[in-house]
Amino acid sequence: MNSMKRLLFLAWSVALVAGCATTQGASTREAAPKESPAAQQKADPRTMSFPALKFEIPKSERVQLKNGMIVYLLQDHELPIVNLTAYLNAGSIYDPPGKVGLAALTGAALRSGGTLDTPPDQLDRELEFMASSIESSIGTDSANVSLTTLTRNLERTLALFGELMRKPAFDTSRVELARMHAIEGIRRQNDDPKGIANRELNMAIYPDHPLSRIPTLASVKAITREDMLNFQKRYFYPANTMIAVSGDFDREQMLKSLEALFAGWPNHPASFPVVPVPSEDKSAAVLHVQKEVSQSVIRMGHLGIDKNNPDLYALKVMDFILGGGFTSRLTQEIRSNQGLAYNVDSYFETGRRFRGPFIAETETKSETTVKATTLLRSIIAGMTLAEVSETELNLAKDSIINSFIFGFARSDAVVNQQVRLEFYGYPQGYLENYRDNIARVTRADVLRVARKYLHPDAMKLVVVGDQKKFDQPLSTFGSVREISLDNNK
Amino acid sequence: MILNASEVVMKIAYRLAILLVLSLSAATAFGEGLADKVQEYTLKNGMKLLMVPRHTSPTVAAWIRFKVGSVDERSDERGLAHLLEHMLFKGTTTLGTKDYAAEKPLLEKIEATAQQLMAEQSKGELADKAELARLTKDLDLLEKEAGKYVVKEEFADIYARNGGSGYNAFTSKDGTTYIINLPANKMELWAAIESDRMQHAVLREFYTEMKVVKEERRRSYEAEPEGKLWETFIADAFNAHPNGQPTIGWMSDINNLTRTKAERFLHKYYAPNNAIMAIVGDIDPQQTINLVEKYFGAIPPGTPVPPIAVEEPPQSGEKRTEVVGDAEPELMIGFHKPTLPAPDDYVFDVIDMLLTNGRTSRLYKKLVQEKQLATSVSAFSAPGSRYPNLFIIDASPRAPHTVSEVESAIYEELDRLKTEPMTDKELQQILNHLEFEESRQMVSNGGLARNLTEYEAVAGSWRYLIDHRQKVAQITAADVMRVAKQYFTRENRNVGFITKK
Repeated sequence: MNSMKRLLFLAWSVALVAGCATTQGASTREAAPKESPAAQQKADPRTMSFPALKFEIPKSERVQLKNGMIVYLLQDHELPIVNLTAYLNAGSIYDPPGKVGLAALTGAALRSGGTLDTPPDQLDRELEFMASSIESSIGTDSANVSLTTLTRNLERTLALFGELMRKPAFDTSRVELARMHAIEGIRRQNDDPKGIANRELNMAIYPDHPLSRIPTLASVKAITREDMLNFQKRYFYPANTMIAVSGDFDREQMLKSLEALFAGWPNHPASFPVVPVPSEDKSAAVLHVQKEVSQSVIRMGHLGIDKNNPDLYALKVMDFILGGGFTSRLTQEIRSNQGLAYNVDSYFETGRRFRGPFIAETETKSETTVKATTLLRSIIAGMTLAEVSETELNLAKDSIINSFIFGFARSDAVVNQQVRLEFYGYPQGYLENYRDNIARVTRADVLRVARKYLHPDAMKLVVVGDQKKFDQPLSTFGSVREISLDNNK
Repeated sequence: MILNASEVVMKIAYRLAILLVLSLSAATAFGEGLADKVQEYTLKNGMKLLMVPRHTSPTVAAWIRFKVGSVDERSDERGLAHLLEHMLFKGTTTLGTKDYAAEKPLLEKIEATAQQLMAEQSKGELADKAELARLTKDLDLLEKEAGKYVVKEEFADIYARNGGSGYNAFTSKDGTTYIINLPANKMELWAAIESDRMQHAVLREFYTEMKVVKEERRRSYEAEPEGKLWETFIADAFNAHPNGQPTIGWMSDINNLTRTKAERFLHKYYAPNNAIMAIVGDIDPQQTINLVEKYFGAIPPGTPVPPIAVEEPPQSGEKRTEVVGDAEPELMIGFHKPTLPAPDDYVFDVIDMLLTNGRTSRLYKKLVQEKQLATSVSAFSAPGSRYPNLFIIDASPRAPHTVSEVESAIYEELDRLKTEPMTDKELQQILNHLEFEESRQMVSNGGLARNLTEYEAVAGSWRYLIDHRQKVAQITAADVMRVAKQYFTRENRNVGFITKK
């Protein structure tokens, strides 16, 4: 703390008087500065310094129930609300061939289909009257069932949560409703050009891999209610479940309730389908989808890294400099200097179980499609040609380190984050050492990882747009493969 | 991440509108809780400061809302409030520049050249092609020259270095809001930057940013069929009131905005008397008051935003808006209604929840579960809240069912509201939901800051949030029937839909 800062602090703690303030309302404090504003020195945002921030990573408590289930708890009595989320190892990566969409559909119908004790209409009525909610969803690599409730309705809401986890009914009419919605979703999957481009890029980066498969009308129609029941039996058991609970609850009572709710829920040996490791394909590709729109959607990328990669931290710093936010090279050049786009960014999505993708994206008017694409590629390539500046490095590191605390601003975020670290098998000390690992990154590291992990000449490029209006043909970038949209008519 | 300087249009007008309704209906307050927690302070220059100390984490959400939005634009200013929102990221006389004294004359040349170019362009076919080319080239060179003095994105840079998170802004029909979350020890940085921005903004890189806004328009409204339906539907619903104008402006509006117009708008309205601040998080209110007094206390007030004189005349017959597009059908039905805090607006909040809140709601049960005509249905008030607006029902038909089948089914339910009284249990469920929402809105610093600035601005006081549930509790089954009969008429109806090409 510099001396000016210290003075200010003193001034603050002395409690000053009114002057120009008008106060309103019963809860308003009598207030206002004693000294005249003119006498106060104002700080320069470029050079000002600050008092130290007191921050420790909040900890939740980890408890293992008798049946093997892991529970993380964090009490927070500020508001009369309790949040709870279950994580189970299951997901669309395990969908059997021919039944792609099974995990997602099971996730939708689990909650909506009611339980063996509480039929769906009754479940809906009871929860909504209490203003409680329970929802379920199954994504790529995790199944989640979560509840939110006012404290006074915790007991009943928790009981209904337990029923859904242990004995979902998959009511036939609700299963059919979920299927209809999935089919309508497929019919609508080509409405938004950005959605098309994202999907096609993912398919190009993970060809024939479970990470890029999408449900079809045929696969969704092939899924039976029996499949869903089997899915639930296979993956829903205590040793495959972790729970994050936060908010206004009593620790002892919560653990007692969870023990009781899941007592006698049988475990069985784990059995997960083998999912192949995504294969590295270093060939470039140019894909085009024709859409008559005034703006082209541009996506490019390739395979990236997973969470166990020791270069993760240097890549986070590189990400920030290349494509992270207003200060990034991509935004400054493509948006701010050239006015070619509203949205432009890039990022390595850190894979949790498999290597995630590197993706760069923008949208620009048809007439500047090739210009913006060229620029995007050359700015990416620029990262591999020379070291970043000291200023860029420091900005990136300071931003990542100083904004770290925002990951812990809510108790539900804290406890869910801690569950996810164990659920996905992050190394011990990942959070605790995160800022130090970022702080250690050097300019040489950034260049090294850019050269190792960015492959500007081996990217899959997807453009959705009206090629009649492009500034130059896409074949500038190589031989173009046309993708025709099957609108399932 | 949202990397967009302005989640404007669709987002504020539509998605936020949805959020708004959730929190409108919902968000009301913590009867005693919120009333006890909010501390209010008004500076002599008229600036309102709302504070909620919360010590869950050493972070603070700081929102500044200017009570001037796109409805306050004249016809030759359409899109200006939003463009200004972007421009206020470009720095001041000291930040964002290496040497303002050297930069300033270039900015003036740029403005003169841009205006000449626009004048020539406005001749259309008769424009002198050579002159257009010359002016375009001059403008480009001048912008490059001025660019040498620019320190790129310095606000964002300073905030980022200091751990700022979620630095952004949005514009709506009603206002413009600037957002940042900061570590709690950085509040003086916020005060220094934001007070500088309020007094000394320089609208540099104006004509390049205009291109960015045009890309934003293409992205949100032209290339996205739902965005196009939204914009057209709202424009068609209002014959007279500027609520119908797109916040981002039509493309030709944006093309004709100038830095001169933007500065006039800026200097008139972006002043403390039109500003509301919400500071929520790990703060000491007394220290915060001192800090705000120190940095903002001496800023002179500007012109109060005058009320809009024009009133939307009563609609005398159904209006139908068709958008033919490369997308599956969507349906929107809107009825003109008064806005908050009119008594009937509370009744609409009840109707909204009866119709679409949750799986037990009337429209969800009927359209989605029983008749299976639609995959989703929602309701909200839009496009703004300062002036009379629309109650809108939005549904996605499920093939092979058509827009008109969904439409008829919705009308059947609306007619039921006119004749079948709401039950006590339905009202109790709504009140329980509002009780939950009163707590939920306080879960995040940002969410609470949003509600405080929004309702202080549009309802006249954040205390709207405290009174809302009690007001709703007094609504009777007869009120719901009366309002349904009065407003859900064919004459008062606007119907918008996408027809697949």
